[in-house]
Amino acid sequence: MELSPENPRPAEPEIETSHVEEFVEQLSCVTSTLPSRINIDAQSVEQGLAKLVLTLIEFIRRLLEKQAVRRMEGGDLSPEQIEELGLALMRLEAKLQELKTQFGLADEDLNLDLGPIGRLI
Amino acid sequence: MKVYIYCLTEGTDALPNSLRGIAGAAVRWIDTGCFSSVVSDFAGEAVLVNRENALAHAAVVQSVFKQTTPLPFRFGTLVTEPKLNSYLTARRETLQRKLEQVRGCVEMSVKIVWNRNWTDESLHKDVQEKPGTAFLHEKRRQLMGSEARAAEARRIAVWLEDKTGEMVREKRIDTNPTEKLLLAAAYLVERGAVEQYRVRLKEAREEKPELHFLVSGPWPPYSFANIDLEFKSQFGVS
Repeated sequence: MELSPENPRPAEPEIETSHVEEFVEQLSCVTSTLPSRINIDAQSVEQGLAKLVLTLIEFIRRLLEKQAVRRMEGGDLSPEQIEELGLALMRLEAKLQELKTQFGLADEDLNLDLGPIGRLI
Repeated sequence: MKVYIYCLTEGTDALPNSLRGIAGAAVRWIDTGCFSSVVSDFAGEAVLVNRENALAHAAVVQSVFKQTTPLPFRFGTLVTEPKLNSYLTARRETLQRKLEQVRGCVEMSVKIVWNRNWTDESLHKDVQEKPGTAFLHEKRRQLMGSEARAAEARRIAVWLEDKTGEMVREKRIDTNPTEKLLLAAAYLVERGAVEQYRVRLKEAREEKPELHFLVSGPWPPYSFANIDLEFKSQFGVS
C-alpha cells in the first residue's frame, strides 16, 4: 500500500510514563508468564512438566478456596467444618509452596497463556 | 532450509538494502499471489530468545511498518517455504480479512497501575480465631479485594473507551494481568488520528492523577494479528 494522506508514515514510537521503575517491574512479571520454548534436556523437561502440573494444581486449589469461601458465606458450614476446611486448604497451600521451592518456581511461573482467551490464572 | 518469517503484507514495497534480520541474514520477500511474506533464511531448528534476536525481529517489522501496516508473526516463527505457501493458500480469506482490519492503522498501547490496597481492612478479623478459620476469613478478604479490583478495572476500561473510542477501530483489553497492573490495553488507531488520540489520552490522564499510565506507540499491530496460534494449530510447526 502506497503512502498517502490516508496512509501517512506513522509517527515515531514514543513511550511515555512518569513511573518508569514501577512499569519495568510490572512488565518483567508479564514477560515471565510468556510461553517459552522447552529445551529437550532431562532437567528442562522435568521442570517444564513440574510447572505444568503445579499450574493445574494451583488452578484447582484456587477454585477450592473460592468454593470454600462461598460455602462459608452461605452459612451452610458449622464452625467445626469451617475450621477443618480451612486447615486442609492451609496445608494444601503450604505443600504447594514447598513443591514450588523444590522445582525453583516462583508464584508468577504458575500460569498458562491460553492465547486469545487469556491466561489460566 | 527453513525461513524465519517476520510479517505478512499485501504488496512488496521496497526494503532497505542494508536491512538484516535474525542472525544477520538478508531480508527478502516471498510473493504468494495475494500476500507477500517478509522472511530471511535460517539454518537452525529454533531461534534463541535473546535481546539481539528480539531487536532484529522488531527492526524488520518496524521497517515494513513505515510503508504499510503488516500482520506481524510471533517472534521465533520458522517454516519451510512449501508449508508457508500451503498455509497462506488455505487461510487466504481469513488473512485477507485480518489485513483489511488493520489496514492504515497502528497499535497504541496503554497500561495502568493503581497503587491502592484493594483488601477491605474493616472486614471481620478476630485474633481469637482458630488457624483454619482465620485462614478462610483471610482468603475471603483477599477474594473480595480481587473482585473489587476487577470491577474497577472494567470501569476504567469503559471510561477510557468513552474518552478515545471514536478514534479506535478495534481494541484488546486485558484487565488485571498482574497483581499491580490494573489494565493492559491495545487500541487500533488510524495512522492519521494518532496525534489526536494522544491529545485525548493526555486530557483523560489528567482527570485521574491516581492512575499511573504507561502509554506507548505507534507500533505494528502485534496484538491484532494472532496468526502464530493459527499457524501452529494448523501445521504443528514453529
